[in-house]
Amino acid sequence: MDHHTTGRSGPAVRAAGDPDAFERLTMPHLADVARFARSLTRDAARADDLVQETYLQALRGWHTFHADADPKRWLFTVCHHAFLRNTRRDARYVDAPDDDPELESLATATAHWRAQQSGVAETAERMDLGPAIARALAVLPAHFRGTVVLVDVEGQSYEQAALVLGVAVGTVRSRLFRGRRLLQDLLLAYARDAGFEAARPSTPPTGPSSDSPMPPTTAR
Amino acid sequence: MERDALASVPPGPIDCETAVQRLWDYLDGRLPPVAHDEVEAHLAVCAVCPPHFTFARAMQRALAASAAPPAADDEDARLRARVRRALRG
Repeated sequence: MDHHTTGRSGPAVRAAGDPDAFERLTMPHLADVARFARSLTRDAARADDLVQETYLQALRGWHTFHADADPKRWLFTVCHHAFLRNTRRDARYVDAPDDDPELESLATATAHWRAQQSGVAETAERMDLGPAIARALAVLPAHFRGTVVLVDVEGQSYEQAALVLGVAVGTVRSRLFRGRRLLQDLLLAYARDAGFEAARPSTPPTGPSSDSPMPPTTAR
Repeated sequence: MERDALASVPPGPIDCETAVQRLWDYLDGRLPPVAHDEVEAHLAVCAVCPPHFTFARAMQRALAASAAPPAADDEDARLRARVRRALRG
């Protein structure tokens, strides 16, 4: 299937429905779709491209849209699909059937505990999380980014996100927990890289991230 | 009679591992009431767990605050016009 963004929709699709009706229904949600696209792509130009592609794809699927369905949710679904489709093949991810969300919660706390032992947690707590979170989201694999953006950035419920993503609520939960844990790992890595790791002589290094002690720094 | 007795059992103390396994469910408000109260009771007395929850919550707040601001009127108008042009071929 090729995806033209030049604006050529097949005449059969347009004939199938009133294009003015399509615009009347969908254009009011453009600001929301654009915000979602910017949160997903973390890049204004790519976000605009994604918004255009979303509307073109939605127009192609217009004949499948039921009058009593939720147009905003439909647009978000189309947008998220387009976003994933534009993701590099090798970055795609398949949900593991035995993902254990409780283990992700445990891993999150364990990572924070380790960060406390090394002094990184203290740095992370003093950091302005705004820029760090933006950086972390930008490198979070697309597969997790969509779920985290829907629930934690857009404020949707698991059930709403499940409908947008076309997956079970349990899948939203497991992707969400793992995505959040990966984000926390990134935040703690940024804190560590900032070079503020306190020297803790009595604590042995743990894990691959602390294989050499950082020198004490006066830059605070 | 037995069912009433079970319903009135107060939440029991849970250990750190149990509390932490419920971290995200707790922060998302998705725990059933008894399980929620058990975590809250644990956090009130535990010296180790609360900072993990605090940091996770701080991260969630940062995520919520990271939503892109609404586009300026001219940016919005430009994108709207671009999308309309694309739709009309």
